[in-house]
Amino acid sequence: MNDPYQVLGVPETATDEEIKRAYRELARKYHPDNYHDNPLADLAQEKMKEINAAYEQITKMRGSGGHGSGSTSSRQSSGYGGYGSYGGYGGSTYRQYGGSSSSVLQQVRIAINTGDLSRAEALLANYSDHNAEWNFLRGAVCYRRGWMDEAKRYYQTACQMDPGNAEYRQALEFMERGTQSAYHPNGTPFGTDLCGGNPCLTLCCLYSLCNGGGYVLCC
Amino acid sequence: MYGYVRPPAGILSEEELERFRRMYCGLCHTLGQRYGTAARFILNYDFTYLAILLSGGDEGPSTAARCMVSPLKKRDYLCTTDALALAADESVILAYWQLRDGVADHDWLHGMKYRSLSAVLEPAYRKASAARPAFAESTRRQLAHLAELEAQPCALLDPPADAFASLLGAAAQEVDHPVRRRVLEQILYHLGRWIYLIDAADDLKKDAKTGSYNPVALRYGLWDGVWTPECRREFTATLDHSVHMITTALELWDFGVWTPVLESTFYTGLFHVGKSVLDGTFRSIRRGQRKKRKNGEETA
Repeated sequence: MNDPYQVLGVPETATDEEIKRAYRELARKYHPDNYHDNPLADLAQEKMKEINAAYEQITKMRGSGGHGSGSTSSRQSSGYGGYGSYGGYGGSTYRQYGGSSSSVLQQVRIAINTGDLSRAEALLANYSDHNAEWNFLRGAVCYRRGWMDEAKRYYQTACQMDPGNAEYRQALEFMERGTQSAYHPNGTPFGTDLCGGNPCLTLCCLYSLCNGGGYVLCC
Repeated sequence: MYGYVRPPAGILSEEELERFRRMYCGLCHTLGQRYGTAARFILNYDFTYLAILLSGGDEGPSTAARCMVSPLKKRDYLCTTDALALAADESVILAYWQLRDGVADHDWLHGMKYRSLSAVLEPAYRKASAARPAFAESTRRQLAHLAELEAQPCALLDPPADAFASLLGAAAQEVDHPVRRRVLEQILYHLGRWIYLIDAADDLKKDAKTGSYNPVALRYGLWDGVWTPECRREFTATLDHSVHMITTALELWDFGVWTPVLESTFYTGLFHVGKSVLDGTFRSIRRGQRKKRKNGEETA
């Protein structure tokens, strides 16, 4: 396993408080909520596992008196182990809301969960009953493909057809709420209209004469 | 491409901007070495980001030389690497097809500029497409698809944006490491989507006047080129979802020395540019800066 201090990006001399802060920042960055329905969620999950293991190892080492820098605290290991238990990546996302209305749509869910979007698309294309669940699953495929606007439209249709369904509503809310709570390194809000309205936007110009902004191609 | 992706100068330290400059100049020299002086004029910030993304986490060796832009003072630039060569080849292919697209979009008279520039770039393109046949072919195919969608005209945002995004995403095809390839594909795909959409938003008023195809106008019914608050909210949400896909991918690979410039560009720069485009101030800021630079040159 990699050096746990390196994993958390802190020196061995870091205090417990600094380690906790580094761990929390990384856990916030790779948190399942930040990779909701993301095609790279499996990679984030690996990162999260690595970070949890590193943090656990350090707290264990320090708790048993192996390393004595900073304030001693074996008690801290319990407080932040909680991040590890989130683990709501991938797999169970779709099945937890109950079964599908048909075996084909159930197969679509499995294909989406295993990342086989082409299969999911093919199954949906051959399914003639465009009911609420079909629209919802079409939206889920679109989202993973990066077709964000279409995803939202399919989720909207699914919600109109079955307004009481919590799964569809949640998906639509996620699209509409946007990404305001997404991870940002400075903890500032994430979004085009939330960026502080910098009135004197400074656009970098490297050298005069150079074709920085694409003179030839876009004027 | 279009120059919407750029380092936020007010936020990035001078040291990091210098590093970006060395890459910018490195790409320029690589273009010159591989394709001759004429090809150096396709250089822009977007291609520099492509070179950064395709490079490893190290900056690599640099050297200094005088050039057309800096005939008196020697400037540091990064020496050619495999990644810079790849970025240069792909840049030539992208620039060439963009010019061809310009020829197709304009009548004979107005297409003259594009026709002559693409003729100048033709030998470079032939060489680049021989070196990277798969990328040349996918670029040609995606742009043909985009032209079909524009001719329909497609009233949805995602199909045309996908054509452009896939074209850029294919720039990661030659990356060997499977995780790195996935990360780069996602970054480039959503960067392409963002660029396509923000460019359409920037052209909203102009296209409303000329009646040209504009996917944003068609999708939201903005015939006079003016945003309604509701449509603007919806549009920024879809842009922000793409930026989020870019930043979440960025965090899954170690970009080494390039991390600060990439972080500040993706977490901050894109939002600033996006907001100024939607506020209608982007063009005037850029025009103002060009003017300032020109004045500066005259007085210098």
